[in-house]
Amino acid sequence: MSVGLLSSALRALCLSGSRTWAGPSAAASALVGCRGFMTSVCQLQNRTLWKQREKYTIRPIGMKKTGGRDHTGRIKTHGIGGGHKQRHRIIDFQRLRSEPGKEQPVMVEKVLEVRYDPCRSADIALVAGGNRKRWIIASQNMEAGDLIQSCRGIGRMAVLAQEGDAHPVGALPVGTLIHNLELFPGRGAQYIRAAGTCGVLLRKVSGTAIIQLPSKHQIQVLETCVATVGRVSNVDHNKRIIGKAGTNRWLGIRPSSGRWQRKGGWAGRKIRPLPAMKSYINLPTASARA
Amino acid sequence: MQRIRISASTVTQICKSKDCLGVLIMIPHGRRCLSSSSCLYGKVFPRQKPRVVPEIAGLEPVTYADRMHFVPGLAKPRFPKWERGWKNPNHYESPKPEEMKLFKDKPCYIFNQRTSVVEGVRQALWLSKSAVIKEFPAQILSLAEDPANQIEDQDERVQNAIKSALLWDTTDDQPPRERYCPMLVHRLLHLCGVLQVRHPELAKRMLAEKYNLAATWRRGEDVFQVRGHNGLLLNSMNPLPVLAGPEQIQGTADQELETFFPIAPTIDLQCTNVYQEKSTTGFREGYPCPHAHTLYVMEMGNTPKLLPEQLRAKMIMFCFGNALVRAKALYGDEPRVLEKPIVVQSVATNGRIFQFVVFQLNTMELQSDSGVKNLVWVDEDKPLYEHAQARAHIKRRVVKIPAGLSGYQPETFKKFLALFLHGAT
Repeated sequence: MSVGLLSSALRALCLSGSRTWAGPSAAASALVGCRGFMTSVCQLQNRTLWKQREKYTIRPIGMKKTGGRDHTGRIKTHGIGGGHKQRHRIIDFQRLRSEPGKEQPVMVEKVLEVRYDPCRSADIALVAGGNRKRWIIASQNMEAGDLIQSCRGIGRMAVLAQEGDAHPVGALPVGTLIHNLELFPGRGAQYIRAAGTCGVLLRKVSGTAIIQLPSKHQIQVLETCVATVGRVSNVDHNKRIIGKAGTNRWLGIRPSSGRWQRKGGWAGRKIRPLPAMKSYINLPTASARA
Repeated sequence: MQRIRISASTVTQICKSKDCLGVLIMIPHGRRCLSSSSCLYGKVFPRQKPRVVPEIAGLEPVTYADRMHFVPGLAKPRFPKWERGWKNPNHYESPKPEEMKLFKDKPCYIFNQRTSVVEGVRQALWLSKSAVIKEFPAQILSLAEDPANQIEDQDERVQNAIKSALLWDTTDDQPPRERYCPMLVHRLLHLCGVLQVRHPELAKRMLAEKYNLAATWRRGEDVFQVRGHNGLLLNSMNPLPVLAGPEQIQGTADQELETFFPIAPTIDLQCTNVYQEKSTTGFREGYPCPHAHTLYVMEMGNTPKLLPEQLRAKMIMFCFGNALVRAKALYGDEPRVLEKPIVVQSVATNGRIFQFVVFQLNTMELQSDSGVKNLVWVDEDKPLYEHAQARAHIKRRVVKIPAGLSGYQPETFKKFLALFLHGAT
């Protein structure tokens, strides 16, 4: 075993000069069993290589299904496996992302196509503006040929919001339905992305805005966080009838365990008061301010 | 399974049960659970992130490079990039674009044979500064209607040509499109060449394939190029006669070029900083047939699949490229309005539907959007036949599509022949 380690160390000494240093994200996930102090050759795996593409493209990318298994091969999440083959279309969740080299306060884009996405419940839209095309989450009444705007500034008066346009939350009038909400400015939309969902802008308070999510929870975000106006497309998604077990299998949902489990406190509908409003503002603490 | 190094007092057990397949397991607590198989209690630890080694500027870490073996406590050495010393074509690493010889700061937008522009004909018209007329030019159509220019048994011979390309080639229902499309075009060209007996001018033509076109022009502040293999080109010794008179050309100066905000006209074009500003027809000096006559573009749906709108845009751009390069060869690089406009024709097909484009280059002043424009005649989506199948399509005892060739349109071949004869009669 020691001979093996020595030979692999010598091999690493010869090869490490020619190996270029990959980015930290690639190193963390692609190289398995790599410890900083050992010189053994790290094993590359291609399980997650399909989702490590740095350059954006509208071309759909082939996905590798995991079946609910983790890196050891054991099931981490039950009930996942099989299903129709899917190709991943990279969605741009940052609406205000402008082309490299061309920063504009207002971007206008044209919707080329609205289509089904196998990876999510909402429909996606191919929009083109300037020199580039990208995929975004389609809003409820988006059709091919529409023009959508993405604005960066917050004026004194609230903007008359058109469906599909993206504005900072501070520029929208109170009571608008929004989706694709950012939690932190510039991070990209993380909330309210599922089919037919929408959040409500409840009130605006001194540089922050309070929004009610589809689960009736309320959150407070900075007013420069961008959100899109309207409801997400595919509004009747929750009204669909699966019909048969086979349809669930096509969706990649494996049967759950048939074992009878006594219902305890975990089962059934709960009616309890809403939790306190969560604030994502990151104000400096009292000790830092002082 | 990851190995966890723990104190020496831990008992090491090799699990021999069928489930474990001989995996070495170490139990972290030092206790063995004897009630169930040990493989169920092998604790899975999450993947370790590699240790981040900070780089402190000005401080050189002490490495074990000199010792030639790993020494605990010393840093991992970073060696310079290994150079082979000789050129191995199997292991060639291209330099970065900034280090290449032809790198320029200003980007160039290239239209190549794989380009599929999203705005189609409108974008091609903007790029070539042209105005469109959506009909077949009447002068060329009158050529085809003239009975002196028709082949004996024209319809029957064309139908035989279609059948030989689609039905008589294989015993399958239909040969693949990559096979029957070029075969059909070659058969039709051969049929048109039969008229050489009556029009000796047709002998002064040559067919060329896989020639590299390179045309460069500036539009506004951007540099554009048309590059690559176009298709089948019919060259001729004499240039094509001009189609539009001077009044029509001057009339185009008043027409506005159509823009398509918010999409930029450079979308879908290959943007590159490494390019060479070339203008070549693809043929050397002294080639006997220097004038481009007709370009035959075949769309076989492989690289990539072009919709009819994008196919027409490709035809317009390549006609423009051929005409521009010819104009530069005759009159030099200076932008000017041409006294003798240059005409180039094009026919595109996917095996069944034909598109006809005639391009007339009136001006080389492409920098600004105003002034005289070039002219394009576009005839869209003309099918030559409806169905050509070896086996009939029968549904519920009713023949939906008969076997053999059905729905033949003689008009399409007349236009094809007219474009072929233009300039020779």
